[in-house]
Amino acid sequence: MSTDNLQTDVEDESSLISVDAWDRIKHTERFIFMVSVAFVLTFSYLFSRAPVVSDVTQGYHGLTITILIWSIFALGFNLLLGQTGLLSFGHAMFFGTASYATALFSIHVFNEPLLIVVVGVLSALALGVVAAVILLRLHTVYFAIVALAIGQFLYFLASNPLEGITQGINGLEVERTPLLGMVDLEHEYGGILGELVVNNLYLFVGAFFVGAVVFITRVRKSPYGLIFKAIRENETRASFVGLDVWRYKFAAFLLSAGITGLAGALLAVNTQFAGVERLYWSISGDVVVMAVLGGLGTLAGPVIGTFVWFYFKGIVNGYPMLGNYWLLMLAVSFTAVVWVYPDGIWGMITDFTAELREPRNLAEKVKGRLTGGSAAEGSDGGER
Amino acid sequence: MALLETNDLTKEFGGLTALNGVEIAVQEGELVSLIGPNGAGKSTLINTITGRLTPTRGTVTYAGNDLVGMEPFEIAQLGVGRTFQTASILPELSVRENVQVAAFAAEHGSFRINFLSRRDSFDEVQELTDDILATIGLGEKAGMEAASLPYGDKRRLEVAIGLATDPDLLFMDEPTAGMSPTETEMTVDLIENLLSEWGMTIFLVEHDMDIVFDISDRIFTLHQGELIAKGTPDEIRDHPAVREAYLGGEGE
Repeated sequence: MSTDNLQTDVEDESSLISVDAWDRIKHTERFIFMVSVAFVLTFSYLFSRAPVVSDVTQGYHGLTITILIWSIFALGFNLLLGQTGLLSFGHAMFFGTASYATALFSIHVFNEPLLIVVVGVLSALALGVVAAVILLRLHTVYFAIVALAIGQFLYFLASNPLEGITQGINGLEVERTPLLGMVDLEHEYGGILGELVVNNLYLFVGAFFVGAVVFITRVRKSPYGLIFKAIRENETRASFVGLDVWRYKFAAFLLSAGITGLAGALLAVNTQFAGVERLYWSISGDVVVMAVLGGLGTLAGPVIGTFVWFYFKGIVNGYPMLGNYWLLMLAVSFTAVVWVYPDGIWGMITDFTAELREPRNLAEKVKGRLTGGSAAEGSDGGER
Repeated sequence: MALLETNDLTKEFGGLTALNGVEIAVQEGELVSLIGPNGAGKSTLINTITGRLTPTRGTVTYAGNDLVGMEPFEIAQLGVGRTFQTASILPELSVRENVQVAAFAAEHGSFRINFLSRRDSFDEVQELTDDILATIGLGEKAGMEAASLPYGDKRRLEVAIGLATDPDLLFMDEPTAGMSPTETEMTVDLIENLLSEWGMTIFLVEHDMDIVFDISDRIFTLHQGELIAKGTPDEIRDHPAVREAYLGGEGE
């Protein structure tokens, strides 16, 4: 680096300014908001209907809604693991409970999409309070395992003793009613809007997705975002600077539970169904894979991870012959990515773009790889 | 009245008595040092006072508050700060963020519901952070990842975090360990500055006898968990028990 000479400095300066500006812009809340809106508006089109692109992806509209919902789940989970460093193997408990609460409220009390989603979130928050009191006294693997145990406890509770309420494996049906009594969620648009978003259900879920992203962005930029990271890095130190670590962990846990509950409630609205399998432990495992595969502690990571996961489950699964091995292929790609890039797919992308910014380093790296170590030694000898 | 006072402070680990009836008193504005051979119980004493360990018996009083049974964060909130012997920093955060975390704790107390307001809107926290970074001389490295700092800088960051909690009484556990002579000198200057400009009271644990005898107002000597001597540097230097137990035949 110190060998940089004047000639290249001039060129570097202009590009540096633009790179700096880009670095500033890309972390602003407005930019993140606009990107998430643009993503929602184009995602379904690109994945399922755009010429060429969709021929390659072979996607379909219904899957995009599922991916948006699970992305919210992964983002909520990531707030706890990626930001605060608490690994929960029982997040299905919030997902499934919110699903049930949404369905039960719609059946027994009142059925309006927005209201039942709010009820779902509140139920996850309430469960979060109880679970946090039990879990936050524990650390590391004990935390993870007891979270799993609570999740499984609820699973068995819902499937058997409470069968009268939950209908066991048959599940509950959530009838589709108009939003605020006026807007039909099934309504399909024509023209450009129809090409982009197809129907109101997609917009409904998409709005919550954008809301979740904006909310999480703000939390990350608040004192909490910093303090969560401090707890992840060094809990002892955080308490010795005077922070009530328990309360901050409690806050992180509730935020995560609430966002996960939002995903569970939306899934009940989307599928018009709530069943016991959403409490099952494998759901908790799936979301760990999604978050880690995409990249922990980031915003884009969990969304990318969710997309890849569902791409394998929903698309690769349907390939002739190959489809039977989708889970195996997913597992192999997961292992390969995380092996080379511990920060997941998003870490891989940021690594790559960072290298693109230093073209000279990249060129040297490529040269080094092509010529191998012996060539470098040879040139050293030549100088002498 | 003393700012900090311990009475019959005893800590037993199973059959081992790490501290035995330690009685110390620290006056406001003093710089006191704690010396003693390895295993004398120096770290145990600090850990017991700052809430990391609970004493087997005895009392710790700080500015009229009984510290025994309090959580570390409560003690920190009362104005008792500490730096750790091994740099206990937040490795993946930037240098600035490391200091900022402590500044939030100092300005906002142990917990506050503000997860919807942006960090950069808290001017007093940003000012405190800038102040500390300038004082400690890490301003230029504020954007670096803490883990990538050289060892000496990590130790200084450790001190910076302790300072950012805005303590009235600061425990410093071997702040110069592993530092180069230049860095050691800077740290000593900093300590003197903290006493004169910031009006802090400092409780220093230090192995470097030159520093201890040079800057301390009073010195406590711990040996096998017992306080064997206390007094001014001159008194300690000539104290027979200290010479035997600590300075011994092998000298410094």
